[in-house]
Amino acid sequence: MMDESEDRLDALLRDAAKDYNAPPATPKAELWERIAAARKANGPATARRDDVLPLRRGFRPTARPTLRVALGIAALLALGVAVGRITAPGQPVLTPAAPAPTLGATPGREAPRGELAEQLATVQHLGQAESFLTELNTGKAAQDLVPQAQDLLSTTRLLLDSKRLTDDRTRKLLEDLELVLVQIATLDPKDRREDLGFIADGMAQSHLRTRLRNAIPGGPATRM
Amino acid sequence: MDQNNLVARVLQGDPQAERELYDANVDRVYRLVYRMVGDGELASDYTQDTFIRAFERLASFRGEAALSTWITSIAISVVYNGQRKVRRLRSREVELEHAEPVAVSGRQADPDLKLKLSAAIDALPEGYRTVFLMHDVEGYTHEEIGAALGIQDGTSKAQLSRARAKLRRQLAAYAGDLAS
Repeated sequence: MMDESEDRLDALLRDAAKDYNAPPATPKAELWERIAAARKANGPATARRDDVLPLRRGFRPTARPTLRVALGIAALLALGVAVGRITAPGQPVLTPAAPAPTLGATPGREAPRGELAEQLATVQHLGQAESFLTELNTGKAAQDLVPQAQDLLSTTRLLLDSKRLTDDRTRKLLEDLELVLVQIATLDPKDRREDLGFIADGMAQSHLRTRLRNAIPGGPATRM
Repeated sequence: MDQNNLVARVLQGDPQAERELYDANVDRVYRLVYRMVGDGELASDYTQDTFIRAFERLASFRGEAALSTWITSIAISVVYNGQRKVRRLRSREVELEHAEPVAVSGRQADPDLKLKLSAAIDALPEGYRTVFLMHDVEGYTHEEIGAALGIQDGTSKAQLSRARAKLRRQLAAYAGDLAS
């Protein structure tokens, strides 16, 4: 009986909701002109794609033979310089580089300083997020969890927008994290307990915390 | 049109293919974005940004989901990011606005039922609201929503159920009006 009345109300709500932010006709031509102009201003599409995925594209085996030879020579030179700089044989060139492979760095390639810094920042961020979500999951979440989630969300989005983020797995992880953080950041204070339970269920289904832990080579980071 | 073929042509720099990809998806993107933001200017900005990003990142599209779903996921990300910035700007301008959407209190005072419903939808948590708009208003399937939001189908169903429950609760007093 109750279900029936709920169904009826849902149907009425659905019907009434059709008027919610009812979209006008799509300004197709105008939008296309804007998109074309913006893309033209940003340079040719192929250059932009190189910008987005520089390493994968550059190191594809389909590259021209002359380019491959040149890349090989460059790699050998880089290796020679790196070997020359090693004072104690057998030690890594850069000690903080340990997290890089987890975040999709290209094997056999030394990450540029900026990229390395960003990888470290990503690891640290994932560690903070993991700690935050663990506390949330164990029910020890602080009262200020909404602002904390908002801070983490901002960093997540900054990392997602970075052109240096070339690893699909890390991107997917950050996107999943973004979705969870959005839900926490917009929690309704009245229904918080129920909503938190629901968010925890969602996290469990996507194995988010496990994936975060797997992406952190040195274990969870310290809290913010 | 085979989507893999279309993607390959776009990646080869075929302008006709770019336009085909745009034409095939722009209505769906614009409608959803407009539903989410309710503002023509913002909807145009976000739609534009969605396609610019889609063209930039098309090389990373692996065909695991439908191209339209992949583009929808970009659109949702663009809207979330953009709305965050909009809210940040608004919160600087209007200190009173913290957790509650700015329009809610004004709409609550309005006797019109549709405005009540709009206010109730505005007040839904962002994730619930997105799922509700995608499923109940724009007709996406749970499978499409799950793929676009990166969540399980079951999570999408559960979020929709929670969203509806919240709306029912908010509008319980008006249930009679709705039925009439």
